[in-house]
Amino acid sequence: METSTTTAKVKIHLTTRSEDIQLPVETGPILVPTELRRYQLSTLVNTLLETVQPVPLEFLVNGQFLRTSLDEYLTQNGISAETTLNVEYVKALIPPLHVASY
Amino acid sequence: NTHLSPEDVGVELPLEDAQRLWAKHEDSTRNLALVLTEHLRLILHPTQATRMRGDFRTGKRLNIKRIIPYIASSYKRDKIWMRRSVPTKRSYQVMLAIDDSKSMAESDSQELAFMTLALIAKSMSMLEVGELSVVGFGEQVKVAHDFSTPFTSDAGSRILQQFTFSQSKTNVQRLLTESIEMFRAARLKAAGSASDLWQLQLIISDGICEDHPAIRQLIRQAHEERIMVVFIVVDPATLSPGVASGTKQSILDLQTAEFVKDAMGEMQLKMNKYLDTFPFRYYLIVRDLQDLPGVLAGALRQWFSETVDSGT
Ligand SMILES: [Mg+2]
Repeated sequence: METSTTTAKVKIHLTTRSEDIQLPVETGPILVPTELRRYQLSTLVNTLLETVQPVPLEFLVNGQFLRTSLDEYLTQNGISAETTLNVEYVKALIPPLHVASY
Repeated sequence: NTHLSPEDVGVELPLEDAQRLWAKHEDSTRNLALVLTEHLRLILHPTQATRMRGDFRTGKRLNIKRIIPYIASSYKRDKIWMRRSVPTKRSYQVMLAIDDSKSMAESDSQELAFMTLALIAKSMSMLEVGELSVVGFGEQVKVAHDFSTPFTSDAGSRILQQFTFSQSKTNVQRLLTESIEMFRAARLKAAGSASDLWQLQLIISDGICEDHPAIRQLIRQAHEERIMVVFIVVDPATLSPGVASGTKQSILDLQTAEFVKDAMGEMQLKMNKYLDTFPFRYYLIVRDLQDLPGVLAGALRQWFSETVDSGT
């Protein structure tokens, strides 16, 4: 087996239950590098929302808060990147810490 | 939620079901296959009219384009003549590569992929222009039908059996690398015949693949070896915008998000349409099988005119 230098990608479908931070209907799934973490996903959603003042966000994948990169999440849960991931976002209740949480 | 392990393969269809399925697809594409066959007959057989072409030291007519270089080179580049060329009989090796990855099942693309396979395979065998092979790709490349086996209805159902749409990667780089090898081997085997051999690969996939620059490089290599690659994107997504909650979406609307370093070394979010970086030069998007004969014929016609005119 040769090794691949490919940056893996996965399709994510972003949803939220908060009325005030809904994405436009036509956004649809987005193809993202699996190396993304909470911070980059937050930047992505804020960009899509065109927020003036960025809203800090937390992300839930299959009901679990994302504390790793998407790639680590997929590996740990044995999910193939061929599957579209349902990613729910919520407003972060406390300002996110710049230390690793467990 | 779907958990997959490398050993996890989908269930193979029993032969009887595969036969029934193949018969159904053959049936439903019968009329379209006739249309496609007529299109292809005109394109794949070389025109009988002879033309003046080539750069020769002697010949019938001067090639005006070569005169200035001829003088500029102090009369050294003297291949300034054209000759009448007679087209030779062409034969083809056509490889259908079908995406066997899990995303095909997720996007409900299997049905359209199988119908596309039935349609093209039927037309090619009606034309009797050469050999046909079928491979499946995903994480691995698997030969489902090789060039040396005749294509019958029986072959069709046995091919269907080998697709499970459960491979957990879509490695198009590997597909191209391995198919170039297969085409090389097939060309050597066909070397005995006097006819002019043309090689064509038709990839049938949902179109989602990674590492576009590396793929572009491999397509260039295939091109240099006179292998034409046409990417057929099957895109069954519903056009009705009402399905907001669904994950079904046309590839035309798919966006990609990436973080790239800007001039200041800061990571910036960059969003693009997925198809803007799509590496295949010849690709078609098929939503409705009715469109396939026309668009496929168009792509092949363009390729032939470019290849023949450049005097390859
Ligand atoms: Mg795939």
